[in-house]
Amino acid sequence: MMGRTIFIDPGRCIGCQACVSACRECDSHRGKSMIHLDYTDEGHSVASLPTVCMHCEDPVAPCAEVCPADAILVTADGVVQQADTTRCIGCSNCVNACPFGVPKIDLQAKLQMKCNLCYDRTAHGLAPMCATVCPTGALFYGTVEELQAERPGVQVADTFVFGETEVRTGVAMVVPAERVQWPVPGGLPVVEINGRDVRR
Amino acid sequence: MTEPSEATAAADPSDPGSPAESSTAATGLRSVTTRATLAGVGVSLLLIVAIVLGSRMLRTFDSALLPYAVATVFLAFGVAYRYTVWISAPGARRLFKQGWRSLFSMENFRKAPTALPKMIATYLGFQKFLGARSHARWAAHQLIFWGCVLAALITFPLTWGWFTFTSGTGSGPGYEMRIWGFKILGFDSLNLLGWLMFHGLDIAAVLVIPGASYFLWRRMKDRGAATGQRFAYDLVPLIALIVISVTGLLLTFSSIFLHGGGYQFLAILHMVSVVFTLIYIPFGKFFHIVQRPAAVGMQLFKYTARENDEVFLCRRCQEPVDTGPYVENLRGTMRDLTLDFDSWAEYCPRCKRVLRGSAYLSHVKKGFK
Repeated sequence: MMGRTIFIDPGRCIGCQACVSACRECDSHRGKSMIHLDYTDEGHSVASLPTVCMHCEDPVAPCAEVCPADAILVTADGVVQQADTTRCIGCSNCVNACPFGVPKIDLQAKLQMKCNLCYDRTAHGLAPMCATVCPTGALFYGTVEELQAERPGVQVADTFVFGETEVRTGVAMVVPAERVQWPVPGGLPVVEINGRDVRR
Repeated sequence: MTEPSEATAAADPSDPGSPAESSTAATGLRSVTTRATLAGVGVSLLLIVAIVLGSRMLRTFDSALLPYAVATVFLAFGVAYRYTVWISAPGARRLFKQGWRSLFSMENFRKAPTALPKMIATYLGFQKFLGARSHARWAAHQLIFWGCVLAALITFPLTWGWFTFTSGTGSGPGYEMRIWGFKILGFDSLNLLGWLMFHGLDIAAVLVIPGASYFLWRRMKDRGAATGQRFAYDLVPLIALIVISVTGLLLTFSSIFLHGGGYQFLAILHMVSVVFTLIYIPFGKFFHIVQRPAAVGMQLFKYTARENDEVFLCRRCQEPVDTGPYVENLRGTMRDLTLDFDSWAEYCPRCKRVLRGSAYLSHVKKGFK
């Protein structure tokens, strides 16, 4: 996990979309929001899940690894940058390989865009736009120590499991204390689709 | 910044892997380096042979242009070396192969004979996709692109001794243009055609300077462009283009208005800037010039699958993910890279997020409490 990073606590998310609006104001992708806000059980629950780039550390940035044009660079501080406009060919490899469903693609512009942790801000010590405006602290920017000082006893996890594969990330999620030793399930294997059991 | 491959290598220094794995990785790296070196040497030698033969055993080779010619040989080595390394990586290798396969498919050609020329014209020539990013950037890039194409078409053959301009009377105004010794056309240097022929590089410089200046200005002013920018990668290429163009124009200025004053110094300055840029091409931003044409293969690969209605639908929501062959190709790439969650590529990004959210909701924090 990076030193200062985003901690996501879906339990605190009220789906207000403030992060989505603030993300549009980020100078590195002005006018386009890169954060995703999904309603995981729409119609039955108000639960919502904000998704920023998780800045995968191990394996390092699968999106960058599958990129045929070497367009996605990783800075020394572990931030996976959005595609270099000169190199990106808009092939969508990164979009479909990302285990967290983060990158977006503009097929007309043949350009991938994704959350870059508001690098124009975080590189200068400022918090990302989404964490700055989040009214409930569902998106917290800082160190684990800063998080725990503000929320005593809170635990975080930075490892996700997709089938047999574990992915360690730079961004972490808040988890219950009893779950902290287990990787967070990434959704794969898929157990049900539209209410139908697909495990067989 | 580091390239992904470097970052991967540096991911966990405390875990070097098993000796067998390390040895396999080292052997793989050596074989790519060897192949790339062989490709570089081969292409450089071919260029030297082409220079010697094209200049009719160096009879039409202009020795004053020797530094330029030597730089192009280095350029050939660097480009071939990096290109080989680039297409050896799993993502590029698989798409590169699929692109060529689509290109040489007779079935594809019969179905859409105009697809390739159209893609080359709109994608590589007029770069419509840049217009979708920004009209100003498109216009500036078109100026640089056509200026550089014009300059390359003139200077490379001249440097290699393939083009000659000779006058039967010694000093004109009637000139003959020859390629590989064959006369192509005769022209009067005092008429419009003659003026265009002798000022082609000035025209190229006039195109490049505003385009490169716009990008340089943007890099200074636009906070989006400035995010994470690096001097050597983002600014040096623009400065190099402007220096080449300005010193080139100054050569013409010197010969017309200064009766050749300062010409020698300007010629050396111009030569140094060109040689530096040629040698820089394989290592920096300019490599996209060599890399970009391969993207046409990727588009052809997707286009032909779409023509055959081979669209792959998300396993959960049934929305299109991409073309079937493309998803299969990506899964192969992921397996090559031991990203063993390749079956995840069969779900659209939104469904991946929702399924992860559902798993969190049901297995981590019940009801997100």
